[in-house]
Formats: sequence, C-alpha cells, structure tokens
Amino acid sequence: MTATDNEFGVDFDELFAEEEEEDFLPATAVDKPEYAAVDISTKAFWAQTSELRDEAFAELRRTDPVSWQRPVEDAVTPDPDDPGYWALVKHEHITQVSKDNQTFISGQGVLFDMLPRLFLQMTQSFLAMDDPRHQKLRMLVSAAFTPKQIKKISDDIKRAAKEIVDDLLATAVDGVGEVELVSTVAEKLPNRMFCDLFGVPEELRDLTATAAGDIIAWADLERLGDRLPDEVQVEAAAILHDIAEQLIDARKTAEIPSEDLFTNLMNAEVDGEHLNEFEIGAFFVLMAVAGTDTTKHTTSFALKALAENPDQLAFLREDFDGRIGTAIEEFIRYASPVMTFRRTCVKETELGGKRIIPGDKVVLFYPSGSFDEDVFADPWRFDLARDPNPHLGFGGGGVHFCLGNQLAKQMLRAIFEELVFRLESWETAEPELLGTNFMRGVKRMQLRFVPAPAGAGVG
Amino acid sequence: MRLAIDYDKCTGLGLCEAEAPDVFEVQADGTLLCLDENPSEALRAEVESACASCPTEALRIIED
Repeated sequence: MTATDNEFGVDFDELFAEEEEEDFLPATAVDKPEYAAVDISTKAFWAQTSELRDEAFAELRRTDPVSWQRPVEDAVTPDPDDPGYWALVKHEHITQVSKDNQTFISGQGVLFDMLPRLFLQMTQSFLAMDDPRHQKLRMLVSAAFTPKQIKKISDDIKRAAKEIVDDLLATAVDGVGEVELVSTVAEKLPNRMFCDLFGVPEELRDLTATAAGDIIAWADLERLGDRLPDEVQVEAAAILHDIAEQLIDARKTAEIPSEDLFTNLMNAEVDGEHLNEFEIGAFFVLMAVAGTDTTKHTTSFALKALAENPDQLAFLREDFDGRIGTAIEEFIRYASPVMTFRRTCVKETELGGKRIIPGDKVVLFYPSGSFDEDVFADPWRFDLARDPNPHLGFGGGGVHFCLGNQLAKQMLRAIFEELVFRLESWETAEPELLGTNFMRGVKRMQLRFVPAPAGAGVG
Repeated sequence: MRLAIDYDKCTGLGLCEAEAPDVFEVQADGTLLCLDENPSEALRAEVESACASCPTEALRIIED
C-alpha cells in the first residue's frame, strides 16, 4: 500500500514514524549505575505486606534515595530492551518531580511498563497526557468535583452510606454479625457515587465495577485465572468502552436530556471539537478505575486500623465532627492505596546526586513518601490527630493531583460517621491483599461486629 | 495581606476553597474566582492553609 492510498487519505507510515520520534523517547542503559542492592522489582517484594515493604523502602530512604532498579517482574507487556527505572522513595523527590511537568512528563505512560500507545489512549485518557491537552480534558469534569459541588451531593452521599450500614446491620443475628467487608461495605459507596455521577444505569453497575477492578489487577494471580495480564486489561477496557457506547446511544435517543457528567462529556468541546466516542470511552475507563477502586481500599484499611487502635477509635468518637477532618487524612496516609506512578524525563537533570537523562523512567513510590521519617514523626503510628499531614495519597502535587480528592474525603466521612457510631465494636481478620505493584488493595476481609444498642446511632 | 494568584498555574481543583470558602470559589467553568484579594487578618490562618494546600503552587500571600 502506498503512503496515502487508503480511505482516510492519511499517511500512516509517516504518522507513526513521527509519533515514535516525537513522543516515545526510548529509555537507555547509558551511564547507569549498578542495580541497587535493595531490589524492589521482584514479584516477591510486591507480594509482601506494606509493613515489610517499608523496611526495604526505609533502607533505600537512608542509603540510596534515588536508586537505579531493574525492570519489574510483573510487567503487563515485558520488554527485553527495558533497562530499568529510577526509584524515588523520599517525600522531597516525589513532590519535586510531581510538580515539575516540564522535566518529567506523563505522556509516555504512567505505569512501570512502556505500554503500547493505543492502549494508553484506550484506558488512561488525561492521566497519561501532558498539558495543554491534559488540562483541557480534565476541566471538562473538574468543576463537578469542587467543594461546592461535593457539598451539593453530600446529602446523597450520607443517605447512601446510611443505607449501606442499614444493610450491614440487618445481617446481624443475636447481636453479632459476620460479613465479608469489601463486598458488603467498602466497595458499595464509591461504586454507587461514581455510577450516580456518570449516569450509569442499575443494570450496568456491577459490570462497570468488575471491569474497573480487572484493569488494575493485572498481576493478581487469582483475578487473572488462566488469562495473560494484557488480555485481562484489554478485555476489561473493551467492556468499559462498550458500556460507554451504550451510555452514549441512550443519551442520543433520550427525549429528556440527562444531567450527568457523561452528558457533559458528550456536549463538551475541546479546541472547537467534540470528543469522539473513543475519547469519551477512555475518559470513562479512567474515571471508573480512579473513582471506584481507591476509596474502597482506604475504607477497608482504616476500619481495620481503628479496630487495632481502640485508643484512636475512642479519640474519634469523643469529638467526631472536630476530629474527622484530620482523621481522614491519616486514614488515607495509612492506607496509601495508590502505590506507584511513573514519569518520563525529557530534560537532563539531577536528583539526589544522580544524573537523570531524557528517556529515563522515574517511578514515584507514594507509600514510601508518606512514611518518610524526615516528614512524619513515628510514621507507623496510626495517629488521627496528626497535623500537618502532607501525605502523598492524592499524589505529590502538580497538575495531576487527584481530581476526586474532595469526593473521596466526603465519602470517607459519611461511611465512617455511620460505622463508628452504629457499630459498638468490631474486629477484622487478616485481609487478602491484591498482588500488584500498582494498587495496595484488599480483595477480601472478614468483619465481625456487634451493633450498637438501638437508639445509639449517629448523633 | 494581599493575594497573588497565578491563574495559569491554577487547575481549578478547589482545595483553597475547602480551606477558605470566603476567599476562593471555583466557578462552574472550572476557573477560580477570588472573592477577596485583600483578606482581613481574621482570615489569615485559613488563607495560609489555602495557599499551602494548592498542589500547583498558584497562590501566594504578599504582605502589605
């Protein structure tokens, strides 16, 4: 086929050649030190609990804060030419890189892997973009997540939280209940709020949540079954695109226009053009993952931590309204659900005495930064009065800072207001953790609880 | 005190509004509106928190 001999009249050879040249700076092994003595790329490292992982991070924070690491074993698309990455484990470096979008870009992907460009476009939307387009796309929905907008829906959030805990309490027999926490409580509120905001109908909600979970579970053996990680991801992404298409069609034929973020996306113009269905689908994939899978894990970890720290639970109950604000920051720091994002260097620079050159991958280890002894006194203490608490649970600042942070906090506030007063006491079993290097997640955790006496509900 | 706001850096997240709602307000189009560019001393604590909370460092206090 000659260069422009196709129905689009587009020169594909040139298009792709140019893209590779412009957008995908290759990482090189040139001038790199030996791989670090503390290896954080093995499957075994990521299969541990975060307490054990932090022993390695702490060692790196002390001895090799910007270390050169071999490629991770759990790659979605293993690449024999991948020389490795720089591991950033100090709070200081993570925030510096997060805020310097001129030197460290997101457009070449934000996970360990050099994922194919098409897959990035299909699943990550503005997460894997740089300004100005990143900001233009993000602005299409950002106004829905401001404090004023979240306040407007806070009654909906409270009502949903109450219903979820009503259902939980209804499972108790003879004053004791035992349930699997994630499916009964933790995942319910974020799933519901995401689907409400984007106008996902009831019959598609479970499928949306499952597919969103599959996208981030590429290295979890149970979730994969006999499928390959890239198969699972592409399949889950295709399901979410298909759901997005159904939502688009429903809005095109509806007599009464719906008022939701999905409709906003369809009506929005960026640089004078509407988003096409593929772009809307990608946006939906990103929002579905970000909106459903993070607050869920924070809820599980925080409920466990409260059971294990009765003094902190008592402290919170004493003055819930006055203390829940700082408590939530500590819930998020302690849970640290998002563990890694990557940037790619495009301008030679120096970090912690190491020379970083264009093409180098730089991976930000948020939980390590959020437990950095130089910033947090006694970091492994679960301290609901910790203030200030500049944790990296929403990222290290900069233009990619978590868009849904206010919504997440409002949901945590609502669900914990119900839980800490309507349960008299509870204990949690050891959680079954998601085995990935991206999300610190709880797959399942048994919860045993005693309901508070009738009438002792939310004050 | 006076506020210096770099609107090019602002991404309209509204963390400032959460800290100091009498001073900052994100509009429906995602842009930031400053309700009070010379906030009174009584608001100092919350304005300082707002400036510190900005993830893109778009807010600064200038002392008179």
